[in-house]
Amino acid sequence: MSLLKSLKAFFGSSDKDVIKNKPVEEKAPINNRKVDTNSKNKNFSTDKITEEKKKAKEKVSKAKEEIKEKTSKAKEKVSETTEEIKEKVSKSTENSEVNPSEKKEKKGDNMTLLEENLVIRPDSVNHEFTQLFVDAGIDTVEHCFQCGTCSGGCPSGRRTPYKIRQIVRKCLLGLKDEVISDPALWMCTTCYTCQERCPRSVKIVEIIKLARNEAAKAGFMAPAHRATGSFVIKTGHAVPINDATKILRKKVGLSELPPTTHSNPKALEDIRTIVEATGFDKLIGYNMETNELTE
Amino acid sequence: MEIAYFLGCIMNNRYPGIEKATRILFEKLGIGLNDMDGASCCPAPGVFGSFDRKTWLSIAARNLTIAEEMNSDLMTECNGCFGSLFEANLELKEEESLKNEINEVLSEVGKEYKGSINVRHFAEVLYNAVGFDKLDEILTTPLNLDVAVHYGCHFLKPTEVIGLDNAERPTILDELVEATGARSVPYKDKMMCCGAGGGLRARDKDVAISMTKEKLDNMVDAGVDAIVEICPFCHMQFDVGQTEVNQKYGTNYSLPVFHLAQLYGLAMGLNKEDLTLDANEISADPALAKLVAELDANISE
Repeated sequence: MSLLKSLKAFFGSSDKDVIKNKPVEEKAPINNRKVDTNSKNKNFSTDKITEEKKKAKEKVSKAKEEIKEKTSKAKEKVSETTEEIKEKVSKSTENSEVNPSEKKEKKGDNMTLLEENLVIRPDSVNHEFTQLFVDAGIDTVEHCFQCGTCSGGCPSGRRTPYKIRQIVRKCLLGLKDEVISDPALWMCTTCYTCQERCPRSVKIVEIIKLARNEAAKAGFMAPAHRATGSFVIKTGHAVPINDATKILRKKVGLSELPPTTHSNPKALEDIRTIVEATGFDKLIGYNMETNELTE
Repeated sequence: MEIAYFLGCIMNNRYPGIEKATRILFEKLGIGLNDMDGASCCPAPGVFGSFDRKTWLSIAARNLTIAEEMNSDLMTECNGCFGSLFEANLELKEEESLKNEINEVLSEVGKEYKGSINVRHFAEVLYNAVGFDKLDEILTTPLNLDVAVHYGCHFLKPTEVIGLDNAERPTILDELVEATGARSVPYKDKMMCCGAGGGLRARDKDVAISMTKEKLDNMVDAGVDAIVEICPFCHMQFDVGQTEVNQKYGTNYSLPVFHLAQLYGLAMGLNKEDLTLDANEISADPALAKLVAELDANISE
């Protein structure tokens, strides 16, 4: 499932959903809830219409002013433009078959997790997941009042389906599976902009890191990240030395190998002992004997 | 003053000119930079912090014990290492139970974390421990450059625990850059991330370089001659990432990238070879040519 789809699947809301999702007693797992993609498209085109209408209005009022001042030729031109706009607007309205009052309601629905027609069933709530954050000293997760300052400043949110406000909410609600299976969880660069600006001092980056720890435990790990982990087990460095740099180091009078695990076998052995003690080798699927990642 | 010099990975294993310039600088400053024999990766916060907190803390704590054995504060020139080690040190100092848990792991390699040292960043040491009077004596070649200063994320943030400067409108690094005679030019979204952190560069390079492109767009709009940063990972992202941006977006960006230590190297009169500027994918020559032109002009005057 694509990032966008998985988020849509969760937040997808439409009049049809209201009908489909009968009361809680029915116990349909939340993941099986069908999402009406057509209605999603409607939402999208609705936004477009609003845009276009707004633009059209601006154009018209501008044109009207010109009418007052200029010649009858200009008048003709204006009416032409108005016609065009009318046509355009009615055309797009036809396409979307949505009336304006409906459209306003929907926009509101997309803004919050607490929409009326979103059903969170008891079996998708994992209270221990929420408790994990509290136990780890990140009890500020409970302070979030969903203002959205975090998403507003997030550089990843501007270009990916990463919605930090939603993730924080999901963590508080205990929607563990939703959180850890979502690839968007890994779009955070840990830049701390959200955390710095949070009016409730929620430790947002800590929340992300802990949620990622849980995701990793459940096996959600990118191959590239496992590889980075394996470099540290092999060499002690996430970015090990290469031949070109060895030459450069020598050239400027530095030791060919830096005085790190690269030139201290005992130190590298320490690192390997530590990762075995914490189980990191098993977590990322690293075979200490063959010195390779499995699979 | 003696300092335990934490190298990390990218600086020493990719851009050794940063290390070289720093060693020369600190010798001139009369500060002892002592090697931390057997230090490892900090470890990388994006992968280790995200995958397993206990492993992250244990490897970080092991590095900290090396500095503790040397009885001196630890200094790093990488925001990623600084973030990792500063945070680990703070958490272990503050939480007795956590310290015990990690010491149990460390006992397997015959080490014990005590909590007796502080973790410092290169730029912070220059600003607070060295000061501008001393720097002015050493930075003798004025650099007539307009530069985009990039703070990176983990030098100042989270301010709640680091508390060095305002995260939205800091001045520390601008002041340090301007001590060379270079001018720090304001640009849009200056405090934005380079895009590399949190494991994003490894996991989704396209997203990472789209951030880098936004930064580069804004820097180029401001008409700067070069980028100056204080993090080898940001350095790599602006250097290698710049080539990637050019390839993906068909741009033709060629903004030279300097770590502050390299900029100081230029201001100390070191040459391009000593600073291993050739290790950069993006040539530093346009910025160097501007400096040489000015030098020639001064001489002919």
